[in-house]
Amino acid sequence: MHLFIQKIKKNRIAYYLIIPALICMILVHILPMLWGFIISFSDLDLYTISDWSKAPFIGIGNYLEGLDINSPTGGRFLRSLWNITYYGIAVISIGYFIGLGVALILNQEFIGRTIVRGLILLPYIIPDSVAYSVWRFMFQARIGIVNKYLLSWGLISETKVWLVGDKSIYAVMVASIWKGWPFTCLILLAGLQTIPFELYDAAKIDGASIWQQFRYITFPLLMPITSVLLLLSTLWNFNAFNQFYVMLGDDPGVAAEVPSTLILREAFNSFHYGIGAAMSVILMAIMLIFSILYIKKIRPGEVEH
Amino acid sequence: MNRTTKRLTERIFLYFAVIIILISVLVPFAWMISGSFKTRLEIQASDSKIAGKEPSWIPRNFTLVNYKTVNKEVKIFDYFKNSIIISLGTMFFSVVIATLAAYAISRFSFPGRTAYSISVLSTQMFPGILFLIPYFVMFIWIRKIIGLPMRDTYWGMIFTYTSFSLPFSIWMLRGYLNTIPREIDEQAQIDGCSKAGALFRVIIPLARPGIAAVGIYGFVMAWNEVLFASVLTGNETTTVAIGILRYITAQEARWGGMMAACILVSLPVLIFFTVLQKQFVQGLVAGATKG
Repeated sequence: MHLFIQKIKKNRIAYYLIIPALICMILVHILPMLWGFIISFSDLDLYTISDWSKAPFIGIGNYLEGLDINSPTGGRFLRSLWNITYYGIAVISIGYFIGLGVALILNQEFIGRTIVRGLILLPYIIPDSVAYSVWRFMFQARIGIVNKYLLSWGLISETKVWLVGDKSIYAVMVASIWKGWPFTCLILLAGLQTIPFELYDAAKIDGASIWQQFRYITFPLLMPITSVLLLLSTLWNFNAFNQFYVMLGDDPGVAAEVPSTLILREAFNSFHYGIGAAMSVILMAIMLIFSILYIKKIRPGEVEH
Repeated sequence: MNRTTKRLTERIFLYFAVIIILISVLVPFAWMISGSFKTRLEIQASDSKIAGKEPSWIPRNFTLVNYKTVNKEVKIFDYFKNSIIISLGTMFFSVVIATLAAYAISRFSFPGRTAYSISVLSTQMFPGILFLIPYFVMFIWIRKIIGLPMRDTYWGMIFTYTSFSLPFSIWMLRGYLNTIPREIDEQAQIDGCSKAGALFRVIIPLARPGIAAVGIYGFVMAWNEVLFASVLTGNETTTVAIGILRYITAQEARWGGMMAACILVSLPVLIFFTVLQKQFVQGLVAGATKG
């Protein structure tokens, strides 16, 4: 006990350093989270929103409705969970491989490398609403450039309507991959640069092939940054909203409905704040499972060298 | 001879790959620029199925009208001002707060560090949509109880965005700091620096690329954010991210105007990024390990 207090005293500065961040986190994350949990058990609507404590308590009613596959809201919510998973697997895996491939290419010496490294970050750096507005324009059926090329290459014979109906989720996937891979690439490139050249020099002297260098030096040394990257992509992916909202509007349709768009409409268009909050809590529970798995894997408390 | 041929093929393949990458990155930008110089009539009349009327890369009737009237129906300049204020505020506060917290996690083994690191990592995982409803309710409640307006104010938005960017900023910066060998700050301490002194004299200069990355992240995050902006901003604080969508309404689609606005909205982030990119490419870690 004495030792413990001494340890706290010795590290006094560390506590001062984290206080500002801690306050922000409590006010914006932890309190609203608890609050959201409470709201999810109440029938909070347009009439009770001005004083949340007056909203009638209805127990797990919101959860039952949100998860009932036979109710229109529940059916759409379950579908939205499937959609976001499907979308996430496609976007994250394709994005990672493109990012890794490009990072390996850009780690080579060639003329204009600095400029190319800057240019590939353009999709990441421009605002989401800009990028997805442009893609929305490109995917327009009659006046868009996507259909023009698909027609001229003979891949389709009729102009396809991309942004309404079953195909719309694929249009969003393409745009999201385009927008997302440069970030992956940037992080992997930073990771590649932390690998000392000496390792490769030594490997070359030992006669290692390019594949062996990748397999035994690059890939293992990129593993720590890769796991953080995949964790963050998975977590952000469940948050995906901008691409769906900008490209497809506030009601993307059943095939491209995701939790965020559904919750937003449920709360701020239909004014069912309670059901919206309950859906948010369910979403959080799912993310909790993922993040516990990852946190166990990453073990942030350990001292890394 | 054989060796030079092999090397030449490798080079050609490399440049070919680079060109493919660049094309796929740049096509939407080309389409955006081209669209911003087209008349509304040209865009609406184009049709992929009719020969001679296909949407084209080069505008058939080059016009500047989209730029001249960009602020006419949608007040994009006002949104611009709002976004600049909110994004700069977010950048400043998240860099300062994240640097301090990341340094604490990276260099001190204080009791509670693991719990704190895990909570930073977990706040990152909660989807923004989870906070939106309670946050909105909280804003209304704070206004009612203390009379403090939060919704539709600059500082309300700056506070919100700073807090959102913090978990990732802290996490990334912690990663950067961990790659700086501890021997460097131990050396600084032997040379007479306090632990806090080592942060300002040794670590911050070495971590510049990481800090720049966090700054860019904060700015871009606030400039980009759509979900909270769509609910928490009003007439006074509408940001460009939301404003840009107003060119397309149920009545008319002003694609040309939208593309012109897209270019204007992208400019600040592009300029800002170009200036700071040096910090990025400098490659902090390479410098530290070599030195």
